[in-house]
Amino acid sequence: MEDIKETILAFAEKSKKSKFYFNDIQKAVQKVMPDAKARMIKKAATALINEEKLIYFSTGSSTMYGLKGRGQTEDH
Amino acid sequence: MAFEPNEEQKELKYDELRIYTDEELKNYTDEELKEFKCKHDIPALDELEKGPWPSFVADCKREALHRRNLADDRMMIERDVVEDMMGQLQISFDEGETHWKHGGIVGVFGYGGGVIGRYSDLQDRFPSIAHFHTMRINQPASKFYSSDYLRCVCDLWEYRGSGMMNMHGSTGDIICIGTFTEQLEPIFYELGHVLQQDLGGSGSNLRTPACCIGKARCEWSCIDTQDMCYELTHYYQDELHRPAFPYKFKFKFDGCPNGCVASIARSDMSFIGTWKDDIRIDQEAVQAYIGGEIAPNAGAHAGKDWGKFDINKEVINLCPTKCMWMEDGKLMIDNKECTRCMHCINVMPRALKPGIETGCSILFGAKAPILDGAQMSLLTIPFMECEPPYENIKEVVEKIWEWWPEEGKNRERLGELIQRQGVAKLLEVLEIPPMPQMVKEPRSNPYIFWKEEDVPGGWDRDINDYRSRHAR
Repeated sequence: MEDIKETILAFAEKSKKSKFYFNDIQKAVQKVMPDAKARMIKKAATALINEEKLIYFSTGSSTMYGLKGRGQTEDH
Repeated sequence: MAFEPNEEQKELKYDELRIYTDEELKNYTDEELKEFKCKHDIPALDELEKGPWPSFVADCKREALHRRNLADDRMMIERDVVEDMMGQLQISFDEGETHWKHGGIVGVFGYGGGVIGRYSDLQDRFPSIAHFHTMRINQPASKFYSSDYLRCVCDLWEYRGSGMMNMHGSTGDIICIGTFTEQLEPIFYELGHVLQQDLGGSGSNLRTPACCIGKARCEWSCIDTQDMCYELTHYYQDELHRPAFPYKFKFKFDGCPNGCVASIARSDMSFIGTWKDDIRIDQEAVQAYIGGEIAPNAGAHAGKDWGKFDINKEVINLCPTKCMWMEDGKLMIDNKECTRCMHCINVMPRALKPGIETGCSILFGAKAPILDGAQMSLLTIPFMECEPPYENIKEVVEKIWEWWPEEGKNRERLGELIQRQGVAKLLEVLEIPPMPQMVKEPRSNPYIFWKEEDVPGGWDRDINDYRSRHAR
């Protein structure tokens, strides 16, 4: 799982946008690791949230992920 | 295995958990309410109170007055939050545009849903609503709660939030409107550890599952909707709280085709109780209805004289598939033609009952957007047994969750994916054969494409052999 986490962080740092959908994370990971299953990628993303390296960004109807410290990460 | 809670659910006792005294709860008089004037000028809101219908403005004024009369240390956010909300709303009415900024990164630790960030863009004028976040509380199944429970939730929200609530949101949650970021974690702690409640779903999550009143009070319920709702809510906690779907996903459970939670119109996966044997008929009770001894529709519409009950006019001729008739004074039903519309059962509940071999139908793809109008879900699995721990149901759910998150575009609901890729693809995912009833109209859905492996001999053919039998 560590390698998936590193890939997610690398994508989050390089991505043009500061907020991205889970689908975007999944595609980025599967580009590097084609065998990575969505469930594992979700577990890795959740672990990064718990480690406070990633953040959720919610509009209420849909949710995006972001790298803590990049883009809008303060309260508002 | 069915879900077993780690700790026993305690009965909440308001007297032990209350925050406010009776005096604090009833801290204004009708006279004071009549004299109440909001600190902002709100003529457009006042106008809303004048019509014949109850207005949220009247409720807001009561709450605003209540907060004015509470002591400073009895509220954790500003006392005039309600008045500032009304003041900002007046400006929105005047200017015809909103002053809320919606969404953000606020939430509680580890959860990706349940909190929806909201901020005022007029914070200098309305500082008490600088933050105005919403929290969704997962409602008890069928919204069965005690007044003790409600009072505990109301006290908590008065103390740490604005006191304004919405009973309930469209998905069913108890919606608590308006609090500041620093209050979110304390509220979450109190809800989880003291009241043993959880937040509901929001964002790209499984949304809070909802069910009708079910077997708890309804004789027609063919499935235990409360148990199914409870089990699936707990079993899919990860999907409810940690968003990884393309968009929202809703389960709703209706105990019978009357559909009291309207699952067919507003859930991506609708479970509707049904039966596969025959409607049970009590011929004596049928005669009692005909003879006027039992009131039809269980006595509803009794305020007016509609004349003598006419079984032909009110039941048999209204059957959508014309599968009922009278024969030698007996009511007959051709059950294989019955589409479970429930009309006859609703009109003569003491004479007709759903069959005893019960389960649920599963439908996919409804959504109820505000602008486009509702899209109804598609009957895909006509009958499935529903026994705890619902392993067969979970298997179907997981097939869908293998497909939709993989193939769905961002912000695409399951119903839209079914439209885009076709019902045939849905059936392939579910590994079930197509049925004529799935055809909405020719050539629009499901429009099955044959695959080479389905056709004897594949796509290759001997053209000379074909031409020997068919002239050009």
